Amino acid sequence: MADIYTLGIDVGSTTSKCLILKNGTEIAASSLIPAGTGTSGPGRALAETLNDAGLKLEELAAVTATGYGRNTFEGADFVVSELSCHALGAAALMPGVRTVIDIGGQDAKVLRVSPAGRLERFLMNDKCAAGTGRFLEVMARVLETDVSQLAEMDEKAKGVVPISSTCTVFAESEVISQLAKNVDIRDLVAGIHASVAVRTAGLARRLGVTAPVGMTGGVARNAGVVRALEKELNAPIAVSPMAQLAGAYGAALYGFKKKEG
Amino acid sequence: MNEVKMLLDELAAVCANPKAQLDAAVADGRKCVGVLPYFSPEELVYAAGMLPFGLWGAEMQANESKRYYPAFICSLLHTVLELGLKGALNDLSAIMVPICCDSLKGFGANWKYGVGEAVPVIDVAWAENRKIPAGVEFTRSQFRKVLGQLEAIAGDRVSDAEIGASVAVYNENRAALRAFSAAAARRPEAVSPTARCAAIKAGYFMDRAEHTEKLNALTAALAALPEQKWDGLRVVTTGILADSPALLRILEDNQIAVVGDQIAQESVNFRVDTPVTDDPVEGIAQRLGQVEGCSVLFDPGKQRGKELIELAKKVNADGILWVMTKFCDPEEYDYVPVKRMADAAGIPLLAVEVDQQMVNYEQARSAIEAFAEILRF
Ligand code: SF4
Repeated sequence: MADIYTLGIDVGSTTSKCLILKNGTEIAASSLIPAGTGTSGPGRALAETLNDAGLKLEELAAVTATGYGRNTFEGADFVVSELSCHALGAAALMPGVRTVIDIGGQDAKVLRVSPAGRLERFLMNDKCAAGTGRFLEVMARVLETDVSQLAEMDEKAKGVVPISSTCTVFAESEVISQLAKNVDIRDLVAGIHASVAVRTAGLARRLGVTAPVGMTGGVARNAGVVRALEKELNAPIAVSPMAQLAGAYGAALYGFKKKEG
Repeated sequence: MNEVKMLLDELAAVCANPKAQLDAAVADGRKCVGVLPYFSPEELVYAAGMLPFGLWGAEMQANESKRYYPAFICSLLHTVLELGLKGALNDLSAIMVPICCDSLKGFGANWKYGVGEAVPVIDVAWAENRKIPAGVEFTRSQFRKVLGQLEAIAGDRVSDAEIGASVAVYNENRAALRAFSAAAARRPEAVSPTARCAAIKAGYFMDRAEHTEKLNALTAALAALPEQKWDGLRVVTTGILADSPALLRILEDNQIAVVGDQIAQESVNFRVDTPVTDDPVEGIAQRLGQVEGCSVLFDPGKQRGKELIELAKKVNADGILWVMTKFCDPEEYDYVPVKRMADAAGIPLLAVEVDQQMVNYEQARSAIEAFAEILRF
């Protein structure tokens, strides 16, 4: 029987992720372009993934779009919400996971996944960048560092400088005033991570936390945030190396399941 | 189908331009009184020969109002105040302001200061303990006081017989609204969520007798339509307002029909009739003790949750959509116990936050799409 290739594309607010699954299990190719909806990002992610897999668009059994820009992506066979796709993807990447915390560029969500990997219920953050990837970017800029350096700085922290968890703008000025006091930047980073954790844990508790807990989305790559969140929730958190691609993975899997009937 | 569409369009046009209704009434020499939610005794305005004009906020950006209210007050009050400050409501002879939530408590003072004597305020107080005899008596006495102020504006005394006649007009309108709501639930393919909402909401800007006539014609036309199968989802809504055009469009895009509601602007206002009593004002006060399902009402046993769940079961809904008015604390307080009751009953419930000043609905779209995906599974 011929192999079935399905593609999932997760058009986010700040990044575009694309992934091709072979027969619903094996990753044939994937790509991540740091440009989201309304940019060349989705097109580039699609082209790059097809190229890496050595496939043409016509050879795909299904294309499923998800993410913030899913409705503007042309050529999708299926359009599915990022919540359902993240649940599917997380359950495949972290088998048995029941609670998924997804922190992306602009929003944070907490999902309850059924033992079979289906989305059961969810909560999304309100319209505020606090506790999201954007929040960390703003903080990194104030600290004159790159967001990718934050985890390492946190690792070396000796203490935690408390930072407000309610608003990006207030938190930014708090960070600036702490800098003026000459506090250790690494302790400040730990404080920033703790503030993200407090906010996200609040969202998770509102939904109810059922173990095991897993994390997806770009912020899952930041071990400092993961550690702070584990402490806040008092529970271990699994993170897949493919965490950022969970939505695209779920979308590709959705297409495969649809084609399989 | 054509008649259904024609009538729905007519009512939608009223909703799209309430100001035209106000202008037409004023041009006809009829005085109009603004009615802020909730449970203001509209029947008394009507009995005095004036047109009650509903004030449920508007889809607009409020700027001026922020001089009087902080940003974290619901848009309903911000936008009504904004319209007042801009002079858009100057044709009203008065505005009735109930004081039934913390945000409404300051509204009258803000209005008096910002809008001034151009549109005088009639404060409407009703008893929190709305069911007990002393509460009913308090509400009755307050409504009598309101009647006195309305008489002064109308320039004429209002007899009990006139109030009784007005109550009859309102009860007929409520019956027509209930019949329409039931007919719309049976014909989701013919009455979209947008059309359903507009048909109900139009009543706040029209003469109720005229609204009843249109609704009855609509219900009859719907009954004459051939049966059609509905493959989409069926939800029951709850909240203060569910009239956001963007939100209703998202429901339509996802093939979701509203088959019943517990919305303050919708069924909560027409589910219970005014009892016919010797003192018609007492009947209006008694009605307040019988209404359930609204967060501004004193409801220690959370009858709201029980009623909502019963409704969802009765109309065979796939789930409940809580349209949460942003910054509405009475709604947020109710959400927790009612959500728990829905969970215990095994009925999926999604809360989506909506704000009349909101321009980006993408998060609401994602949430509703995901909810629909869960329900369809
Ligand atoms: S009950 Fe809620 S929506 Fe209504 S006026 Fe009060 S705060 Fe605003």
